Amino acid sequence: MTDTHEPLISIDRLARHYFVGGETVRALDGVSFDIRHGEWVAIVGQSGSGKSTLMNLLGCLDTATSGTYRLNGADVETLSDDQLADLRNKEIGFVFQTFQLLPRASALANVELPLIYRGVSRKERRATAEQALRSVGLANRMHHRPNELSGGQRQRVAIARALVGEPSLLLADEPTGNLDSQTGEEIVRLFGELNARGHTIILVTHEPRLAARCPRAIKLMDGRVLGDGPGAEVAALQGPRAVGT
Amino acid sequence: MKRAIQRAASEWIEGLRIALSSLAGNQLRSFLTTLGIVIGVMTVIAIVAIIQGLNQSFASQIGNLGAHTLYVDKWKWINTGEDWWTMRNRKNLGRTELEAIEREAVEALAVAPMAGRPVTVAAGDEELSGIRCTGTNERYLQTGGGNVAAGRFLGPSDVDLARSVVVLGADVADRLFPGVPWERVLGKRVRVRGAPFTVIGVLARRGRMLGMDLDTNVTIPFTTFLRDMGGKRSITIAVTSAPGRLPALEDELVGIIRRARRVPPEKADDFSLNRQDQFLKLYDQLTGALYGVAVGVGLITLVVGGIGIMNIMLVSVTERTREIGVRRALGARKRTILMQFLIESSVVAAMGGAVGTGLGLGVAVLVALVSPLAAAVTPGAVALGLGFSATVGLLFGIWPAWRAANLDPVEALRYE
Repeated sequence: MTDTHEPLISIDRLARHYFVGGETVRALDGVSFDIRHGEWVAIVGQSGSGKSTLMNLLGCLDTATSGTYRLNGADVETLSDDQLADLRNKEIGFVFQTFQLLPRASALANVELPLIYRGVSRKERRATAEQALRSVGLANRMHHRPNELSGGQRQRVAIARALVGEPSLLLADEPTGNLDSQTGEEIVRLFGELNARGHTIILVTHEPRLAARCPRAIKLMDGRVLGDGPGAEVAALQGPRAVGT
Repeated sequence: MKRAIQRAASEWIEGLRIALSSLAGNQLRSFLTTLGIVIGVMTVIAIVAIIQGLNQSFASQIGNLGAHTLYVDKWKWINTGEDWWTMRNRKNLGRTELEAIEREAVEALAVAPMAGRPVTVAAGDEELSGIRCTGTNERYLQTGGGNVAAGRFLGPSDVDLARSVVVLGADVADRLFPGVPWERVLGKRVRVRGAPFTVIGVLARRGRMLGMDLDTNVTIPFTTFLRDMGGKRSITIAVTSAPGRLPALEDELVGIIRRARRVPPEKADDFSLNRQDQFLKLYDQLTGALYGVAVGVGLITLVVGGIGIMNIMLVSVTERTREIGVRRALGARKRTILMQFLIESSVVAAMGGAVGTGLGLGVAVLVALVSPLAAAVTPGAVALGLGFSATVGLLFGIWPAWRAANLDPVEALRYE
């Protein structure tokens, strides 16, 4: 269906400016890169570097001030609100730092959610969600509510929810930020497995150590790309005080 | 296409599920929120049920008056502003008018005089006072006077010969001859105002009309009444027309009676033509006003209840800002969120409406039990209660739902 020669993501001079109190904040100031199918890319940077803004744009939750964003053949900036919602539903699986599970719903119901917005029949929905939970190792926790699960298990539910609609992109925002190091390690390993199975993953993090483990990393500073290359190299980059040009 | 329908259906079901689980998760809050709606719907339903009960019993009571009968009387039964003294000073109606109508009215199917006074009726040791005695003729039943349950009614010869015969009302028969079957009451002697009378019939039970007991009466020939009970009283003349000919009869009667009473052309009628639907009209005016007040009170309460729902829905939207963000991130469209919250507010309101309907009907039944008021439970009233409250929920849910739908997903996800 998709031309594999075309990158999954192609952004060109993407910018997002906020206007706060008569002043223009250039949260993202002309960022360009491509991400191909099957890549595992870390977007790394300190807070204020623009990585959250970039993630919101990549996740089609926000629209850019200028520049272009092509996701799997669709020009995102031309889409209506409804079309963006459908695009998020179809193309993107979100994994959040705070898990963002619905507290009153079971693990299974949480995982079913994206399929509800796609109009999948109840029976098919249930089967698909169960399969997704099994694939993250939660076969025996399906009917537990989030508050009955450990942090690592919650994040696995969130990952199952992100995977259930078979999106072309897994977008993880500090997925280990609320986990202890051992559980975090398990989650990172899970991402590794998913990537090995062919999933495209973008991992947004402020931790250079985490970025170093990804095959590719893009380092942001002050809304611009500081470096783009193998994870271990880019993560180690120390930006000059002013990137300027 | 099929996908879109399936999507809409599953979003609806999801919306309902969310609404119910949100209600279950905040039971006290849901209860307090719906209290306004509960009280509003309860008030309206109770009043509507009581008014409808009144309507039914009034209609059946009024049915005791002939639908096609005019009652010629010195008095206007429903006095709408006419001077009491004017009517008081009118000349009595009597045989002159009765005979004129019997002779001249071609639209009249049946003409019956009705002379009345309270009397004491006795048989053996049993004595009943305050019994209404009506003097009339054999046409009385045709004009709407009820039916005979045992024996026979007055015949023409009873009237012509002024016989001392009497037809008993059902209660009179039961109280004068306790435990005696009506068939065996026939032929017994009773004393009406001291004079001996022979029982020839018993009237079927008729119940009450406007607080008047229709079964505690005795009926005797008109001529006998004039002889024994005093002939100076003004009488009422019941005149029945063919169905649909009532207006023609009315026109005719006015002319006949004016001539009989020699009313000069420039003077107004010195008599009144009363009819059943005058009662209905008066009654409709009264209950119409009551309806208006009830609906007004109910609407105000519903609006207050609606504001309560709007308030709590705004709180709910704020509380669930992150949930809204998550749903938007996972692919929920604006209108999906809008619908979700509209369903929730409607469900809250409809539940309040259901409880209010139940309580309202309970109140109506209770009122019917402890008071002479009747109560009728109609499916229409129930549907009205539920429909109204759900509509209120929908209307007052619009603004909170709109706010929820238009939250910025990024902001919503970040909301603490």
